Amino acid sequence: MTAQRSFGRSFDSLPAIVAFTAEVFARERIDPGLTPVIDLAIEELFTNMVKYGKGSNADVRIEMTGIEGGVEVTLTDYDVDRFDVTATPDVDISLPIEQRRPGGLGLHLIRRLLDSIEYEYEEALRQSRITFRKTQAEPEGAVHTNKGG
Amino acid sequence: MLAIDHGAPGIVVIKGRLDAAQSPAAQAFLDGVQGTVTLDCSGLEYISSAGLGVLLKTQKRLLATGGKLRLSGVNRHLQDIFGYSGFDQLFEIEPAR
Repeated sequence: MTAQRSFGRSFDSLPAIVAFTAEVFARERIDPGLTPVIDLAIEELFTNMVKYGKGSNADVRIEMTGIEGGVEVTLTDYDVDRFDVTATPDVDISLPIEQRRPGGLGLHLIRRLLDSIEYEYEEALRQSRITFRKTQAEPEGAVHTNKGG
Repeated sequence: MLAIDHGAPGIVVIKGRLDAAQSPAAQAFLDGVQGTVTLDCSGLEYISSAGLGVLLKTQKRLLATGGKLRLSGVNRHLQDIFGYSGFDQLFEIEPAR
């Protein structure tokens, strides 16, 4: 069963999002060991939407579905420009500390921790949809695809 | 929720979730520490990139004045995060026992 809820585009929504995730995990009997990675992925994607979708006042919708061995999550953002999270460059983690910047680390991290992540953009609706999956199995290499339309 | 406070001399204890909502408070606290400081992470359940940014900024500032930030009591999930972000090359990290 898919659970869905909408959240105001503010960092202040994060506690409610964490509570929603915990509620769905308990109800759908999803492995709680996946919680830190799912919380991280949702936070990074949601805060990106808040930071870069300033022209929109619409809430962000989060859908969560239990799948075999894990969970699938979709975040939908409305009235926004295209921002393909699967196309951002990786962070060069070999740089010395003087040259390190925190920007971009979130997407860099979740691409390594998730099984897959897909981005879709509906031009006519100005709607971004990001869907990711995580199962108990260790990912051998994240799959990043773009279904932009 | 996040709690951060001074522990024994040279030690700062952090507990809870260091996410984008809590990072400004953590940064404000760590902006006040000097020298070599051990951040006791044994009660830290979660960190996001916003929290990593707080640690990075603090480490840069302390290194510039001859100090540094060490991380202790780091759980398995946090070790993964620090490894994937390259922070294991920027910080002395002591795993949780």
